[in-house]
Amino acid sequence: MIINSVSKSFSVGGKSLDVLVDFSLTLPPGSITAFVGPSGCGKTTLLRLIGGLEQCDRGIIEKAVSEEGPFSYLFQEPRLLPWHSVISNVELALRDWYPDRKRRIERSMEFLRMVGLEAYARFTPDQLSGGMRQRVAIARAFAYPGHIMLLDEPFQSLDTHLRWSLVEAFLALWKADKRTTVYVTHDVPEALLMADTVVRLSSRPMEIVQTYALKTPREQRSLGHQECIEIQRDFYTYP
Amino acid sequence: MHRSTWITRAVIALSVLVLLTLWHIGAVLLDAQVLLPQPSTTAAALVSLVQQSPFSLNVLGTIGRALRSFLIIFLTGGILGILAGYEKHFHAFLTPLVVICKATPVMSVILLAFIWFSSGTVPVFSAFLMGFPVMFVQMEQGVHHISPRLQEMTVAYGFSPMRRLIHLVVPSLVPSIITGAKASLSMVWKVVIAAEVLTVPRYGVGSRMQLAQVHLDTAEVLAWTCIAVLLTALGDLLFIALLRIPALFVRKHRKEVQEVRP
Repeated sequence: MIINSVSKSFSVGGKSLDVLVDFSLTLPPGSITAFVGPSGCGKTTLLRLIGGLEQCDRGIIEKAVSEEGPFSYLFQEPRLLPWHSVISNVELALRDWYPDRKRRIERSMEFLRMVGLEAYARFTPDQLSGGMRQRVAIARAFAYPGHIMLLDEPFQSLDTHLRWSLVEAFLALWKADKRTTVYVTHDVPEALLMADTVVRLSSRPMEIVQTYALKTPREQRSLGHQECIEIQRDFYTYP
Repeated sequence: MHRSTWITRAVIALSVLVLLTLWHIGAVLLDAQVLLPQPSTTAAALVSLVQQSPFSLNVLGTIGRALRSFLIIFLTGGILGILAGYEKHFHAFLTPLVVICKATPVMSVILLAFIWFSSGTVPVFSAFLMGFPVMFVQMEQGVHHISPRLQEMTVAYGFSPMRRLIHLVVPSLVPSIITGAKASLSMVWKVVIAAEVLTVPRYGVGSRMQLAQVHLDTAEVLAWTCIAVLLTALGDLLFIALLRIPALFVRKHRKEVQEVRP
């Protein structure tokens, strides 16, 4: 995906607020790119532009052939329909893509099984814990045949233990089906353990401060690893 | 049954008993059937009313008008309320009408309607004008309370407009539909009977009330009032029963999902 000179501004109280000015970046297909930046810098706007939920004022976002088509979105909150069961929440998103009801439910169950929620398929979201609800959202995002995964700080509201278990659940699904993933966060360790490329961003208008392409394979990475330590030092020493 | 439920019921029964006793004491002290007949006299009048031949016609006449009016309110208030909730210019367009409906006294509506329409239509029209704003405002506010986050999720996951309507808009509006329908239904009963009293259509609870009042038959006026109260209560019960139907469908759907599970 090539983000080419994209600009976006919002009108707030009659004044124009520049969020992105000539922002450019190339994301390799099938990779995970993490955008790390301060709150309110415009990360979510970038994600919404990529996902087509907002339109660019100027510039263009070009996609590779394998990336054309629908998107899977993981929001900060699970965003499940509270009146539907877990399985219906997943299955509803698949209706256009799997007209056969049996096949659709099978696929939904398959992904719920992968996130460890097979037994909770008939529960309603209010009967689940916050972490379980976010797992359902992950299952929905992967069951949906989106060619690009857009993650908007989906683990932010959870405690550390739960966050890591969800990151693992996400990576397990991603390894089985490597879709281009754009991941927005302000948590540096999370970005280091998940991404192939970490992009450090400035505050508004958002600009790239530095891009880190991680060389260490994901399986061998830990926060104590030399490469990760150096990047973290960068983040925490030069704010 | 839970113990506290029994206690609540006992308190309600006690309250009814106290009211009846007060009524009885008042009637005995006044000692004038025209002013306040005793509860037993009223009960006797009620029994004789039920046995009179056009009783069911009178009751059905009122029920028919109330239901017709309620259905029109439910459909127009519901649809226009949703549209006004989404489109602010449409909301602005309908605001004067809603404000006028809310502010006009019931009696002026009935009197004006009686100049324009036949006696059978007046109750339906008046109840519509009084009940419409209740349903309309509830639905409009309901639309404003639909979660923008869930709305965005349905856009991100490519829900068609119809699927969005069925799975997001309508379920989000259910509390507003229930509140609006309940409030407008109870208003409809009152306005229909009031309009019947003034316009005296051939059959109707209000018409009978008016005739009984002309004959100074206070017991019969009270007996018809009891019937009006019972109609409202039965309407509410029927409404609650209707609300259970969608829940049954949801359970059936979940069962199907369970059966398809591999």
